[in-house]
Amino acid sequence: MTEWVVAPAPALPSGQRSQTFGRVVGGIVAIGVKELRGRMRGRRAFVILTLYLALLAIFALMVERIIETQFSNNFGGGLAANAGASIGQGIFAAVLMLMTLQVAFLAPSSTAGAISLEREKQTLDLLVTTPISSFAIVIGKLLSALIYVFLLIAASIPLMAAVFVFGGVGPEDMIKGYIVLIVAAIGLGSFGLLCSSLVKRTTAATAITIFGVLAITIGTVFILGFWQAMSGFDQNGNRRPGPFGVRSPAPLAWVNPFIAEADVLCGTESTFGGGWCGLVSGLVPTNEGVIFTNDPGVGVPPMPVPMPVGVPEKGIAPDGRQVFVGNDVVVVDGGGGIERRMVADVAAEPGQPFGVRRDGLWTRSVATWLILSAIFITLSVQAVSPTRRWRLRRGARVPKAPSA
Amino acid sequence: MSEIVRTDGLVKRYDGTLAVAGVDLAVEQGEIFGLVGPNGAGKTTTLRILATLLAPSAGTAEIAGMSVTRNPDQVRRVIGFMPDAFGVYDDMKVWEYLDFFARCYGIAPAARRRVIADLLELVDLADKRNSYVQTLSRGMQQRLCLAHALVHDPQVLLLDEPASGLDPRARVELRELLRELRSMGKTILISSHILPELEELCTSVVIIDRGQVLAQGRVTDIERRLRFGAVLRVRLLLEGEALEAARERFASDPDVASATLLEDGTIELGFRGDDAASARLLAASVAAGLPIVSFARAASDLEELFLQVTAQAPVAAA
Repeated sequence: MTEWVVAPAPALPSGQRSQTFGRVVGGIVAIGVKELRGRMRGRRAFVILTLYLALLAIFALMVERIIETQFSNNFGGGLAANAGASIGQGIFAAVLMLMTLQVAFLAPSSTAGAISLEREKQTLDLLVTTPISSFAIVIGKLLSALIYVFLLIAASIPLMAAVFVFGGVGPEDMIKGYIVLIVAAIGLGSFGLLCSSLVKRTTAATAITIFGVLAITIGTVFILGFWQAMSGFDQNGNRRPGPFGVRSPAPLAWVNPFIAEADVLCGTESTFGGGWCGLVSGLVPTNEGVIFTNDPGVGVPPMPVPMPVGVPEKGIAPDGRQVFVGNDVVVVDGGGGIERRMVADVAAEPGQPFGVRRDGLWTRSVATWLILSAIFITLSVQAVSPTRRWRLRRGARVPKAPSA
Repeated sequence: MSEIVRTDGLVKRYDGTLAVAGVDLAVEQGEIFGLVGPNGAGKTTTLRILATLLAPSAGTAEIAGMSVTRNPDQVRRVIGFMPDAFGVYDDMKVWEYLDFFARCYGIAPAARRRVIADLLELVDLADKRNSYVQTLSRGMQQRLCLAHALVHDPQVLLLDEPASGLDPRARVELRELLRELRSMGKTILISSHILPELEELCTSVVIIDRGQVLAQGRVTDIERRLRFGAVLRVRLLLEGEALEAARERFASDPDVASATLLEDGTIELGFRGDDAASARLLAASVAAGLPIVSFARAASDLEELFLQVTAQAPVAAA
């Protein structure tokens, strides 16, 4: 009989981190190669990619036609000189939102079967009895499921670059948009993986995953909208705190990749108060948003009176205060008395209402999803590991059987 | 003599039910060790604990001197496990399947190619190298699964019901394969409820029922220690009262403990005597003019032994 040679079982790695690291990477590669051999076999994957790109290009072209027609009809178009920028921003927004939709459903549904299918097909036992670590199994599964999503994202970059022909969008906006997409894919992918490792059946895991995605997309928007509807406005036209004295449950917005992308799109806008910025601040009014108050106690800068053209220098404000307005001059009631200041000075103050910090929310979204991914992955590793399972049941010293 | 697999007081509870209730095993290097017992006896649980897939509720289990609970990573490198129910990946070729597991064990690319070729040769699947795994027959998949358990040249093989679902020919092939593996110095733990298979193959057996060891040792030792006699089946060319009279005649023999008339007209004798005594009984019966069609020992010895041991209380446990 032929003898075969196997890499000798390494001695217990005492401080040999590189060896452990190498084994984890080897495990991830093993899983990745296995998964991709199945997924990428034949022409199917590439045909789908081509079709996807063709549809995305047609979609972008249609958006371009819509905005261009609006301008030529003078329908809400504004200055024709801005047409290029508007078209660029419109295409960028439309394609970015479409890709967010695709990521929000494709990433978690492609991982929702990763572990449960192995259980259903009774292949997980074979995998777990190899020296490959549970961490490598989980990461390998996650990456190989996401690699196709990443491929779709990467393939859209040249198409997105066409936006630069029209202008209105900076490279940094595009980079931000793609960062949100990739992080959302990782986060939602690990959410699907967690469902897959906790729930035995793939159909149930997929259903729970999709339900979760609906909750973080539609559900969060509904609750945020509900909050703002309940809060109403004060006499200055500012929103009052909503239920429980909370102005807005902002963390709900952080987990919604659509709001994060809307925030990125807000960064491309030249006006404030409408469009994507208005959408974001309508759902998540923060102190960095448009909040005007005369009450110095809340720590918010005082409200500058806008200066419409043609208004007399001296007048009465709706609330009965005396207001003096002139070109480049605002009158501010700072609580301690009326102040007369230059507009430019007011605008330059940090935290000043008109110096609203745009696109500050997407960074929180990215941070939130990175933290959530780490939590989901850790829990998945525990669920996959056969003997090192965390037991949360009360008084249960007896470990639960992973399968019959 | 070195013990390669050892368990002490192994206990496993599932939500109140006791699947394994204090199993002590000692398997020496190079043995083919059979775990025998009815369904639900705790064979699979015991093997899964040894395969690091389950944590025991109490007791210890060691393979090659390493604890399966404390050093599962090390243990996984010396064992090859084949579960009773296993699946295969769709959309994967035979060589890719083995290549995947070889990668999992961190075998270098050059060695991997050689190992795959050798293993496919060993399990007689060399001509199926490029077939898709799901197109293989059950027996071939079983052999492929066995091959997967061998990619890292393990010292110990844990095979849970490897012959279940196989046709007789595939079973014979599997048996040959296991013998060959034994000759290569592997220790094999094999569970089954199909006993004749194990009797020929195993050097030692342990009989388990309801999570407890009823008997353990060399097959011949157990037989000697637990001699309850044999069962003889006699078919006669008689019917009705004549048959009943013949049964009474057998029952009156001093070596016959019991004589029962079965529905198909066969008389089953609980026989205490040895082979010489059964020859004497046959000769006497023929001399008495009974028209005997067949006169034979029923079933295989191990199976019978098993039935006797499991039917009785665990008194028989040595």
